[in-house]
Amino acid sequence: MKKKFDKKQILDLLLNNAMYIIIALLVIYVAIKRPKFLGLASIVNIISLTASKLPMALGIAGCIVLAGTDISAGKIVGLSACITASLLTTVYKIFPSMTAPLPIPVVLLIILCVGGFIGLVNGFCVAQFDLHPYIVTLSTQLIVYGLILMYMMLGTNNGMALSGMTDSYKKLVTGSLFKIGTVSIPMYVLYAACFVAIMWVVWNKTTFGKNMFAVGSNKVAAEVSGVNVKKTIMMVFTLAGMMYAITGFIDAARVGSANATTGLNYESDAISACVIGGVSFVGGTGKISGVIIGVLLLQVIFAGLNFLSVNANLIYIVKGLIILIACAIDMRKYLTKK
Amino acid sequence: MKKLLSVLLAVLMVFALVGCSNNNSSEGGEAAPASDAEDVAVFWYNHTDAYLSSVRSAMTDAFESAGVSYYHYDANTDQATQTDQIRTAIAKGVKVLVVNQVEASNDDVTKTILDAAAEANLPVVFFNRSVSESVVTSYANTAYVGTDYTQAGHMEGQMVGDYVLANYDTVDLNGDGVISYVMFKGQEGNLEADARTQYGVEDADAILTAAGKPALAFYDENNSDKYLLDLNGAWSAAAANDYMETILSQYNEANGNMIELVIANNDDMAQGAVASLKNHGYNDPSQGQVVVPVFGVDAMDFAVALINEGSMTGTVKQDAVGMADAVKTIAVNFMNGAGAFDGINSAYELEGTWRVNIPYSAYNG
Repeated sequence: MKKKFDKKQILDLLLNNAMYIIIALLVIYVAIKRPKFLGLASIVNIISLTASKLPMALGIAGCIVLAGTDISAGKIVGLSACITASLLTTVYKIFPSMTAPLPIPVVLLIILCVGGFIGLVNGFCVAQFDLHPYIVTLSTQLIVYGLILMYMMLGTNNGMALSGMTDSYKKLVTGSLFKIGTVSIPMYVLYAACFVAIMWVVWNKTTFGKNMFAVGSNKVAAEVSGVNVKKTIMMVFTLAGMMYAITGFIDAARVGSANATTGLNYESDAISACVIGGVSFVGGTGKISGVIIGVLLLQVIFAGLNFLSVNANLIYIVKGLIILIACAIDMRKYLTKK
Repeated sequence: MKKLLSVLLAVLMVFALVGCSNNNSSEGGEAAPASDAEDVAVFWYNHTDAYLSSVRSAMTDAFESAGVSYYHYDANTDQATQTDQIRTAIAKGVKVLVVNQVEASNDDVTKTILDAAAEANLPVVFFNRSVSESVVTSYANTAYVGTDYTQAGHMEGQMVGDYVLANYDTVDLNGDGVISYVMFKGQEGNLEADARTQYGVEDADAILTAAGKPALAFYDENNSDKYLLDLNGAWSAAAANDYMETILSQYNEANGNMIELVIANNDDMAQGAVASLKNHGYNDPSQGQVVVPVFGVDAMDFAVALINEGSMTGTVKQDAVGMADAVKTIAVNFMNGAGAFDGINSAYELEGTWRVNIPYSAYNG
């Protein structure tokens, strides 16, 4: 009897940490085949890729904790990238009357307001009309897409990709934080770390964070125990909108251009990352560390399969399988509870 | 009551927006009076496409200066949407249909469109996205304005070959006598992407081997595709950038296997690669940095700027104004009952009685 119990415990332990084990196995496999995968440059690359995708996932994670989702995220990233690229530039194509780029803090403020406002609209509709976030964000996704297309046709731009960003802006985002040997770590890794810290505090140490989890697990119970449910939902979506805006701000400099397709499908990767990291669609559960693991795993897959020279088509299949496995393991916890 | 009020407010907002955009017809490009059908209905496969956006503004100018009224439809990459839009426009009573078919080379779609047009006795001008000769020639009053889709790939390959041959020793960073390259492909199942991926390397190889040099070598000998693909099929700078960052972490000068040449299906992807190279201390000649040659296609403004500052090496220009001008000429001919190609610019290549090709040109500063 006792032995069987041990077996079950081990199995549970394995399953509950399955994502860590998968990452470890993948890393070991790739590293055996291609030792350079664990080289400094490669590790820095994976960290940088993860950092560039983190703010968005941190934002969307809040919406998922509310048992919702946000599919307007990618388009908000795109709009923010386009606005940033049009204002912090040396070629004034969207606004031909400009003579100098705007100060960076002003642009940051603008995109935070724009992203936050769209998030607020999302949150308002979800909270006020009790609509499912999928429907609300599907609508705002379309609206934002239309706005991006109109924005890109302004001035003399004619829908072209925006480029020619100012050096000070590029330096602020992609400049070197510090160097290990010859490999430099870009600044945006630092920013991502800051956002992780901020979001960790928000989620774990503030009333707002506790309310968010309460609303996510049981709206009615939260309402009864005195939580302002509507305000909480609106704040979560607004915060998420701001995080998307920041992702756009970083992406425009990182990639060096922005156009109407910037941000395309970004939300699907961010949502996958959250789900893989154990932020459950059931609502009310999730950890910041899980989000990081989720984003990291997706980037390890991207870089690892690339190092292994795997056919691109396989990447879709691997991603799909990973998400499916992650969700199945996640639901298992709830099934055993029942 | 409160809910009713908010619904009313929302409706009011929508009307206000619509009102704004009507006053502002030059920006959206819609110049049709609501009461009467416009002369020409133009069906675009996707308003986000950067090159097509430049064709769109050129076409807007062309129609406006010809005094022809027009309306732009966006199918948003969905053929069903486009087919519905076409039926709506026919019902509305337009005189000419100009179609940028979403599912390029799909004969059934082309036939559906042409059947619907023939019922109303309307002429159709297809452009940019290819349609089959056999289908187009079996209907009256139908023409296609395109480009020889393989030409951009051939030109890119030739430009790459010529450049590498002329600068062989500078390009060969590790001095092993072989040029290692990376190819960025925009999308699977797209004829232009296929042709650019194939000829971009094949034609360059032909030039190199004819001069007694070894062919280009893909940087990763285990990759049998010999290209890296944008997984979203969006030909995007971000995809090329992510790949390039990952590649440079493994293939660099310190390891003696640095990428020595970048060939991309379009300028967006080329630009994403340039941004990554710049992050790693390459491709800024003003700082005296080593320049890894990067080639694209489209001759976007930003690519021309990069080429002029020396950070990018070459691109292939697709003539947006020429394409818009040819479409306008044919549409106006159809409206006036003239021959389809009457008075068309002689620089364009006529192919049979059904097709006009707008030539590409190479740009390397």
